[in-house]
Amino acid sequence: MKAVWRAARAAVRRRRLQTVVIGLVLTFTTATIVLALALLESSVAPFDRAFEAQRGAHAVVAFDPAVVSAAELAATAELPGVKAVAGPFGQTVVATPPGNELRVPGFGGGRATLVGRPAPDGSVDEPDLWSGRWATAPGEVVLNVLPPYGNGRAPEGDPRPIVVPGGPTLTIVGYASSLSATADGWVSPEQMDALAPTATQMLYRFDDSASQADVDAGMAAVAGALPGGAVLAEQSYLTVKDAVVSGTGQYMPFLVAFGLLGLAVAILIVANVISGAVVSGFRHIGVLKAIGFTPRQVVAVYLVMVSVPAVAGAVVGTVIGHFGSQPLLTTAFRGVGLGEVVINPWVDVVAVVGMPLLVLLAALLPALRAHRLPAAQAISAGSAPRPGRGRRAQLWLSGTRLPRSVSLGLGLPLVRPARTSLTMAAVVLGVMTVTFASGLVASVTEYAKVADRSEAVQVYAHPVDPEAAERMDSESVRATMAGLPGAANVVAEVFIPVSALGYAQGVDIEFIQGETAGMGYTEQLVGGRWIEAPGEVVFSSKLLRQLGKDVGEHVTLTLNGGRKDVLIVGRMMGGVLDNAYADWDLLAELAPGHEVRPDWITYQVQLDEGTDVEGYLAAVRAAEPGLRPEANAGLGQYTVTVISLSTTLTLVLGTVAALGVFNTVVLNARERRRDLGMLKSIGMTPRQVVAMMVTSMAALGVVGGIAGVLLGILVHRQVVPIMGEASQIELPPVLLDVWRPLSLTLLSTAGVAIAVFGAYIPARSAARLPIAEVLHNE
Amino acid sequence: MRLDGVRKEYGETVALDGVSLEIRAGEAVAVMGPSGCGKSTMLNMVAGLDRPTEGSVSVNGEDLGRLDETGLALFRRHRIGMIFQFFNLLDDLPALDNVALAAQLTGVRASQARKRALELLDELGIAGRRDMYPSALSGGERQRVAVARALMNRPALLLADEPTGALDSVAGEQVMDLLLDLNQIGQTLLIVTHDPQLAARCASRLVEFADGRVVGERSLERAA
Repeated sequence: MKAVWRAARAAVRRRRLQTVVIGLVLTFTTATIVLALALLESSVAPFDRAFEAQRGAHAVVAFDPAVVSAAELAATAELPGVKAVAGPFGQTVVATPPGNELRVPGFGGGRATLVGRPAPDGSVDEPDLWSGRWATAPGEVVLNVLPPYGNGRAPEGDPRPIVVPGGPTLTIVGYASSLSATADGWVSPEQMDALAPTATQMLYRFDDSASQADVDAGMAAVAGALPGGAVLAEQSYLTVKDAVVSGTGQYMPFLVAFGLLGLAVAILIVANVISGAVVSGFRHIGVLKAIGFTPRQVVAVYLVMVSVPAVAGAVVGTVIGHFGSQPLLTTAFRGVGLGEVVINPWVDVVAVVGMPLLVLLAALLPALRAHRLPAAQAISAGSAPRPGRGRRAQLWLSGTRLPRSVSLGLGLPLVRPARTSLTMAAVVLGVMTVTFASGLVASVTEYAKVADRSEAVQVYAHPVDPEAAERMDSESVRATMAGLPGAANVVAEVFIPVSALGYAQGVDIEFIQGETAGMGYTEQLVGGRWIEAPGEVVFSSKLLRQLGKDVGEHVTLTLNGGRKDVLIVGRMMGGVLDNAYADWDLLAELAPGHEVRPDWITYQVQLDEGTDVEGYLAAVRAAEPGLRPEANAGLGQYTVTVISLSTTLTLVLGTVAALGVFNTVVLNARERRRDLGMLKSIGMTPRQVVAMMVTSMAALGVVGGIAGVLLGILVHRQVVPIMGEASQIELPPVLLDVWRPLSLTLLSTAGVAIAVFGAYIPARSAARLPIAEVLHNE
Repeated sequence: MRLDGVRKEYGETVALDGVSLEIRAGEAVAVMGPSGCGKSTMLNMVAGLDRPTEGSVSVNGEDLGRLDETGLALFRRHRIGMIFQFFNLLDDLPALDNVALAAQLTGVRASQARKRALELLDELGIAGRRDMYPSALSGGERQRVAVARALMNRPALLLADEPTGALDSVAGEQVMDLLLDLNQIGQTLLIVTHDPQLAARCASRLVEFADGRVVGERSLERAA
């Protein structure tokens, strides 16, 4: 073993650059694999994971304090089937001030639920206190808000206090997010007493909670043990789960795809780099055999040689991957309230053990070939190509008018098909990865744009003051907003749940008032056409599947005893807004006199190109103080997170791919040291050497680049619809046609760029080779 | 060719220690000495493959110390032909293209270069092996291809580093005859060798090296 270790150590020392490259490739790929595995793990049932981490409440129940005492409520913890409880906590609903500029959920819509809770811990519902501290004294409040992307806001003692009309002024001392949605804000019990609680909150976890029936049974047991009429309201965690999953679930397949892509590319690149390293060492293997190493010892030398940087890279990569992925994923998942991501130890173990094993496997296959080869054959397999390979092409190339250094470079890949295949595989993989990943990012971005209609709608406005809203008439509000400078079109939307005959669940219809053309609705269509008359509707494809209907068929809608037969004229993608669209007038036909509260209405404004959005917002505030206008940020917070995550992964995978190419070129240059020395000895200039080496790789880059782009597009076109299917979203073609001539050209040249970049540095060092030394040593 | 007080150090090792030597056009000079005495280092200095630590080297009136890397490459291309002990042919190319390559690097068109390469291979008696790859040629044939390549650009000086060192006796004889013939038609030769027979057959002057210095110099009567 001593001889094996010595030979391996010497081989590592002699191939310093290759050792460094293998170490770097392993570092990057292992980090990628940790990120990919952690991403995959986090993406599987993210709600359940985060819910369990917060020990979420299966039921949030408000009791009437006049009917049931705190002691009676506390005693429900002992009931059979009740696993744990938290409470009783005082609860009240406060009005939020009119025109409150604080744009946080629950505190801009006119009313908010406050709960008096001494601490955020307990056996049920442990909110994620992501900023500041808990409210412990009167006059303090902690808001239930999702963390902003990047966690760059909201310190303790937010300078914007909440003035409760007719009540205290509350200073925001912290922000927390509760997946169980148990409150809009928390205050200290003392503060709650001062606010005069109107209900008592209890949080329950049950032994059985898998289905709504389980939760209902648990609640029935609780209600049965208490005086009648004690329960004012109850909320099942399954309702919250549906809301969260429908919002975030659509992105999970994208993240899973990235995780799988990261895994696949990392494994392929490692296999490529390692087998390349062993193949390039065939001559050395032959020499070792010639001096008396047994075939097994030779294989051992090579396995040890590649294992040294591989193990080092895997360890460093696991550490980087672990500590780099955790904040990245936490930011991504916290942003939608799915709590902090803790990377499971199995991910680290798989990475730190699995990657060296993968390396050994990748090295073993070519090493076993060397094991079988007689010494002389191994030496020749490692030094000289089989004669005659690519002869015709070489003859043709040498006869062209190309400079000889260029024609020699173009001919090089033909001489060693195995090495060329490895290099080509590295380029194709790299370009395919970048193409697919950038396509995925473009699809996500495009999806978000279509779903948010961010290209058509620049401003949203909601009535914030119920009293002021009472005075608002949607037609006049639209007219006011449309009359302001810069407004091109204004529509009003109201969301009303209706029923469809033969369908047990409700249908949420968005009734639209105003000119819809150019407002981004038609981009959401995946079939049929847009509404042209009040008796027509557009349904999401998911809804149509559930209804068993299709475009061209009729469906009967009912609301408040009214009924109307409508024609389904279009099918839209669904997703975030998994609902239906109809004309505002249909509502009057369907249920004349049905109340549409003005504060339910959302106004959407399209601005003329070049209009100053902030200026328009100020004009709206001035013209109608009861409205809260805000710019359509375009991409939602979670979309931004997904895109950032995808972009990070794309960059990491692109770097890994480039390193793979770099390694192959380094091996090529190393293998050709003697040839390069000879060519220089007969008068090849350094520039010609660089030109030859770079040309040889650029040729592969062109072919690999084109093949990689085509493969990337093919994979994108196969994978994205599968992802859509998994999210129950029918994707419009615009989400697949994300490629533009410029981006395709850039991606194709990415192959050449990767190859040329990878080739240039080793080519330059090859050009500087000390000829005398090379020719003497080789 | 003139070496003036050439000294070459590799770290603490002194490979050449103040070597001065002059070779006139048409001369055939053999350099002999024990292994590690600096013969090959001296040859590398003359070929512009390495630079002296001190002193100067000039060939055909050109001071190599004044040339940059590209200048040295052009110098080798046009003024020097080199023959190595282990041939140093490109394994990827057949014999004809190996020879033609030297001319093609200077910008000569492929057809012209191949024509001249074929003439040279013919003169050296291996035109029939022109399409063979180096791995299919015998040692003697490979060295002839290497000689043809060295002569391709009509060099002022032909440098040979142990040209028969890797050959059997028959092939070695053939190469010696070849070098002798070349010198007899006016080709200047500088041969580094361990082989006294080669020196006696091909050279008109013998320079003896030891410890990086010229320790002796004498004229030779060429053996028949």
